Amino acid sequence: MQMKRKTIVPTTSSTRALVAGSAGLVVAIAIFLWKPTVLVYGLQRAGLYAAIAIPMALVLGIVHIVNLSHGEFMMVAAYLTYFAAKLLGLDPLVAMVPVSIVMSVFGFAVYRLTIRRALRAPELNQLILTFGLGIALSQSINLLFTSQSWNLSLDYVTSSATVGNYSFGTYDFVFVVAAIVFAGGLRLFLTRTRMGKAALAVGQNPRGAAIVGIDVDRAYAFVFSLSVGLIGLMGALFLTKQAIFPTVGGPYTMKSFCLVAMAGVGNITGVLWGSLALGLAEVAMTNVRALRDWSSIVFFVIIIATILVRAIRERKA
Amino acid sequence: MKKIFVTLAILALAAAGGFGQGVIKIGAHWPLADQGSVEASKAAQLAVDEINRAGGVVGKQLQLIVVDDEGNGAKGVAALERLVNVDKVDVLFGGYASGVEAAMIPSLKKYGIVTVATGAASSVVENGLGPSPGSDFYFHLHPWDYDQGMSYAQGWKDIQAKYPNVKIRKIFLAYEEGPFGKSSWEGIKSQYGDGYEYDGASFKSALMGGSDYSGVIQAAKDFGPDLFIWAGYAPDALPLQQQAKAMNFNPPIFLGAPPAWPADIGSSPLTENVMSYGMWASGLNDKNAQSKKFYEAYQKAYGVAPTSYFAPLSYSGIYILAAAIEKAGGVQKDKLIAALEQTRYVSPLGETITFSPSNVIKHQGIRHQKILQWQNGKQQIIWPFDYSTTTPVFPKPAWE
Repeated sequence: MQMKRKTIVPTTSSTRALVAGSAGLVVAIAIFLWKPTVLVYGLQRAGLYAAIAIPMALVLGIVHIVNLSHGEFMMVAAYLTYFAAKLLGLDPLVAMVPVSIVMSVFGFAVYRLTIRRALRAPELNQLILTFGLGIALSQSINLLFTSQSWNLSLDYVTSSATVGNYSFGTYDFVFVVAAIVFAGGLRLFLTRTRMGKAALAVGQNPRGAAIVGIDVDRAYAFVFSLSVGLIGLMGALFLTKQAIFPTVGGPYTMKSFCLVAMAGVGNITGVLWGSLALGLAEVAMTNVRALRDWSSIVFFVIIIATILVRAIRERKA
Repeated sequence: MKKIFVTLAILALAAAGGFGQGVIKIGAHWPLADQGSVEASKAAQLAVDEINRAGGVVGKQLQLIVVDDEGNGAKGVAALERLVNVDKVDVLFGGYASGVEAAMIPSLKKYGIVTVATGAASSVVENGLGPSPGSDFYFHLHPWDYDQGMSYAQGWKDIQAKYPNVKIRKIFLAYEEGPFGKSSWEGIKSQYGDGYEYDGASFKSALMGGSDYSGVIQAAKDFGPDLFIWAGYAPDALPLQQQAKAMNFNPPIFLGAPPAWPADIGSSPLTENVMSYGMWASGLNDKNAQSKKFYEAYQKAYGVAPTSYFAPLSYSGIYILAAAIEKAGGVQKDKLIAALEQTRYVSPLGETITFSPSNVIKHQGIRHQKILQWQNGKQQIIWPFDYSTTTPVFPKPAWE
């Protein structure tokens, strides 16, 4: 019996991926040869950004709402973890599980009480709603606990390794792991589970999903709760390395929003790559004396450039 | 019925008027979301309560009215307007952020009410107030930024003279990229003098969403300083120390200069032998009776210990004001100013507070900060030697 030979023709997108991957590898080697710590800290920072942004991308991709209180949910989770550590003696890496569950329930309540009612409202109203939620959360924490920053002093976060003359912290790779677990886990959830497939269908076409019998509201509630639960995990991790205070979440909401906008709606893989580009660029610039003060600006330059390129491409198409 | 109502109303008004006549109102403003300000407000109230229990001042009770300025200039002005026009305060008190104080200057000068200021280090405020006699109503307790810089330079000079093993040739400043950090960098270079080699680098403070200090720490490692100073905010304290340890960066002196520290920073092993700048440390309780008395009274009243120097500073300010009112026989402006000029108050901060001319204004209180070091989980004073509670640990041992 003659076997049909399958001819694999390289597509344009796979060529692009190959080129991009090769370029990325060259850049990574160049950075490593210049200053290994830049590659290390760039990856770690990328992991932090990605792990925080991925839950926002999930909500935007399925529920089609930009959650401008995203960072504030993380902040609340961090405070819960702090109290779990201080009052119950739980290490944050242990407390993150119950905190995540509590945050999921909280997220569900917030969805039912507020988000659900604004799903058919104009997008501006949705933005104002979530923005207001964020302010309510941060101000509530401020009133309860003042603006003083709180820390946990944990031995394991100062773990380090030495390569040649360079010593660097290794704990922050936990954020890289978190980002990969979130991205991989969500991919599996959305493509392999019944609830995930239903959520994906709702995200692509809510009306069509409703017609075939999928409970759209239930899918939205589940996804929103899942997103808040994931950011709850990140809140606990965040506390292990950073000080917390009522407005700590705000800058991360902004960065997550920019990363999600850069990657495209619901594009979790894009968020990973975007975070990598930004993390490396920021850390690289802080290691160049003349460019140190510009490292914050590179974030917005890359995002603006990406959005402009995409707009030009769409126009041509 | 109508007659009863009118009688009751007249009696109520008489009582209110009587109460108002027996009260001296002190109007204060602070950003009450900030822990240092909360402590300042509580300490001021503690002083007011103590003075009232002892019989008050010139036969009257003191009343402290606190308004939250939210760390915002416009809200600070609104707070001032409310205190003056609605609460009709007799004197003004408080303050924390330089930006807020600067915004309030036109209104302060418009009303010219005697003011004892506890905050505002920036000399921008002093320049805005202008010279005597236009600013004579203003009594500034907190050292100005140039006072602070000069005191640090003098302090390190004195420490190196007294402790020959302490040698500082190279100074590195890691500064947050905002106005506070940048002015600290400029200040260090101009105030410490030519005897040192300087280098510095900026970082994004955690307060502004930053999280990585590897750039500045690596730059500092490459420079090899004897004195490493970081000028940022409280959220930077522990993460910076953690990252310094992870990167194996351990200079002979590791010094933090934030406006305030996290509440429980002293409990971290990483803080052991870290130095800082400040006006007061709880270690002073072992040496200074006033400090110990204030500390214990505060703890008894509020159930927690004070952590910020704004607490004893604010407490001192109320006592200074009360003593001056007593001396002046009331709150008449010229007499009160004359009485405040004669202040000699032995404070819980360790020093005897008097007022003397600074670069611009006539009535400046404290002129220097102190150099502190955490030892065995407690903040101790290294310099000035008149107030020192221990000898410095130098060089800083390896991170714990």
